[in-house]
Amino acid sequence: MSEATHSPATQQRFLPRDRESFLDAQRCNRRATWRLSALCVLAVVVMGIPLALIVTPLIYAVALIVADIINIFSPIPPALWAQAEQVARFGFVAIGWLTQHRSADPQALALGAAVLLLPGIALSLFLWLAMSVLFERSGVGGALVALNAREPNQDDLKELQLADVIQEMAIAAGLPAPRVMLVDAPGANAAAIGTSPEDARIVVSRRLVDDLSRDELEGALAHLIASIGNGDLRIAFRVMAVFETCGLLVTVINSPFGSQSRRTLWRIVRCGLGGAAKDGGAQEAAAVADLLTRNVSLDTDDIDRLFDTTAKKSMFRSIRNFLFFPIFFTNFAIKLSLWLFSLAVLGPSVALLWRTRQYLADASAVQLTRNPDGLAGALQKLNEDAGSIPGGDWASYLFIVNPGRADRMSSAGPSARQKEILAKAWAASTHAAGTTPQPVPGDFSTALNEFTAKQRAAFAGDSQAMARLHAAAKELGTLDPSLASSIPDPADLVAARQGDRAAIARLMAFHRAQPESRSQDQRTAQSSDISSVSPVSFHPPIKRRLKRLERMGAHVNLDSRKSKVWIFVFVLSLILAPLFVALIVLFLLLIAMMTMASLTFVVIWLAVIHKIFALVAHH
Amino acid sequence: MRISPEVIGIVIAAIAVIWIIAAFNGLVALRTRVQSAWAQIDVQLKRRHDVIPNLVEAVRGYMQHERATLEAVTQARAQAIAAGGNVEQRSAAEAVLAATLGRLFAVAENYPQLRAAENVQLLQEQLTSTENRIAYARQFYNDEVMKYNTAQSTFPRNLFAGMLGFSPSAMFTAEESDRANVQVKI
Repeated sequence: MSEATHSPATQQRFLPRDRESFLDAQRCNRRATWRLSALCVLAVVVMGIPLALIVTPLIYAVALIVADIINIFSPIPPALWAQAEQVARFGFVAIGWLTQHRSADPQALALGAAVLLLPGIALSLFLWLAMSVLFERSGVGGALVALNAREPNQDDLKELQLADVIQEMAIAAGLPAPRVMLVDAPGANAAAIGTSPEDARIVVSRRLVDDLSRDELEGALAHLIASIGNGDLRIAFRVMAVFETCGLLVTVINSPFGSQSRRTLWRIVRCGLGGAAKDGGAQEAAAVADLLTRNVSLDTDDIDRLFDTTAKKSMFRSIRNFLFFPIFFTNFAIKLSLWLFSLAVLGPSVALLWRTRQYLADASAVQLTRNPDGLAGALQKLNEDAGSIPGGDWASYLFIVNPGRADRMSSAGPSARQKEILAKAWAASTHAAGTTPQPVPGDFSTALNEFTAKQRAAFAGDSQAMARLHAAAKELGTLDPSLASSIPDPADLVAARQGDRAAIARLMAFHRAQPESRSQDQRTAQSSDISSVSPVSFHPPIKRRLKRLERMGAHVNLDSRKSKVWIFVFVLSLILAPLFVALIVLFLLLIAMMTMASLTFVVIWLAVIHKIFALVAHH
Repeated sequence: MRISPEVIGIVIAAIAVIWIIAAFNGLVALRTRVQSAWAQIDVQLKRRHDVIPNLVEAVRGYMQHERATLEAVTQARAQAIAAGGNVEQRSAAEAVLAATLGRLFAVAENYPQLRAAENVQLLQEQLTSTENRIAYARQFYNDEVMKYNTAQSTFPRNLFAGMLGFSPSAMFTAEESDRANVQVKI
């Protein structure tokens, strides 16, 4: 195919009959939202049934043990025991029908299924609601602290423009104007975060403001504000809560084995009781949410430690491990099924839903600006130099364009040696700064926590904290000059937050000078985000977004040549599809086996404990 | 068991009443949005009046020879404020104001120092934004009017919308003087 045959084809695309009004595009995407929401609900149900099947026996186990303990002190009437036995019988009928194809009448079967599933479903629903309420109450302040965001400077032309454009777009959408926060990050990107249109905030990197023209800025921000107006924040929140609930389930089941899980649980309880609305509480909530979503992935920290042969053995520990042995199977079954179902079922359907919302926000943005070229231009520019904002990994799906996975891979954080030096420098600076000497363990994570706390204090104007930061920077300079040069001057960071333009320029220059692997903020801990649970990206490809904008009247020069890559992809997927199906079937079998093993062990374990209690009660 | 026709009738009547209540409330909500969108335009027009004195003050030092232009802007603003609630006079005065502002910026082209001055740039950005805000507020008003009118005139709501006291709102349309392309050089 030659170029000559192509040009008429490209021109034909601008014919009016191919044009689509933004209202039609919105209607179409709204319908797609309904379809995909139904798909997501179905996915949750598909994922929920095995989970409920695994969790329910544990609930019964806890109930039985509690009943046994009560029975020792004040005997429970035998009628109640008999009734419980009746209920249990229904469960066994259902299991027998399922595993040995024993015949059973439908009514008993339905009752049995209810007995086996309902407690688990009820618990999951309750946890989901609790998670939603908890994190909704704590708001988004914590996330902003993690991002090191600042208010725009009204005396800077570009930043004034940004604040103005946001006001304009809010007026066009008939929404209360969201607060705008700037981040001095090397990547160009922007995100809308929050829980509702009332407390929504828009986070913009300074680079985006510099790179885009006023029209493009308008388009990009219109996308974000349209997304807020369409209620995407609430959708994101509910979806996040599903993943957090899964994480919480794993954490609860892990808690007999691992101190880490117990700590997480304790933090959740503290969050729920105390810290609402305050920044500290919100930050705590954000940290806990991050821990929970990370638990969904397959790395079994606490369980690994259980089998860690180097850990010191103690009598107490081996007894505990023996006692909780059946829970190990439960744990494994839950993790495996969560991992498989969220990767293969829930993740992709949520990702598709989210993509539709992005297309919808694009169409709504065109309605707000009546200028599809603005958004199209912004997308084209961002396509070239989109970057992640340090500390924003947890919410990559909220950004206007994909912050890019490549960055995350390359920023593996400081190496072990660097960590040691950083911790040492931090500890050494205690005396240098003349603050009250306190016992500082040479632990990197402690140093990191202290460092961020001091940095926050310095941002708030604490001169003592500032002095400490300077001392740490100087210590680092004497210990390892090359490492010190990869960390920005703390004075600049503070000045930049207050809107000092010279400091911002120095920081930008500093970030650009860093090699790619170090451009990420080294102090931000590696955090996982929700989009890692899906093989399908949460962001639609920019090319497809541009094509849709073109249909709404944007002038984009897409290269219209069809690549032949898709043929290879097609053939490859034809070969790989059966393999994948076989793999999934294998995993399902494994999950079924694990579930059965967990069920059997829990039943045996319970029977033994129940007998012991009966003996105790008898005497 | 057979369901008697009376019961069916009652159920249908109840559904109809509930639907009418819901439709009525929906229309009221739309009407409120239209009203608040109209108020928003006024808010933005007022903002324009607030920005102008600052702008005139800032450029006065550079533009000693353009007193007439500056006077015209100040006067047009005063007239727009004086017009108050009278819609026709008001919109005419606003149109004059927009035109004189356009002339001011066209003249400002001749003063390189002025264009470089930072506070003037900031003020210009504010004025640009104000003009945009007025335009977007009008656009939002029109969008809301469109929704409101469509909701009223589609079947079956059109059967009773008039009876319940809803009437189509008027769209905001440009004046003839506005249609003549005003050259605002910024």
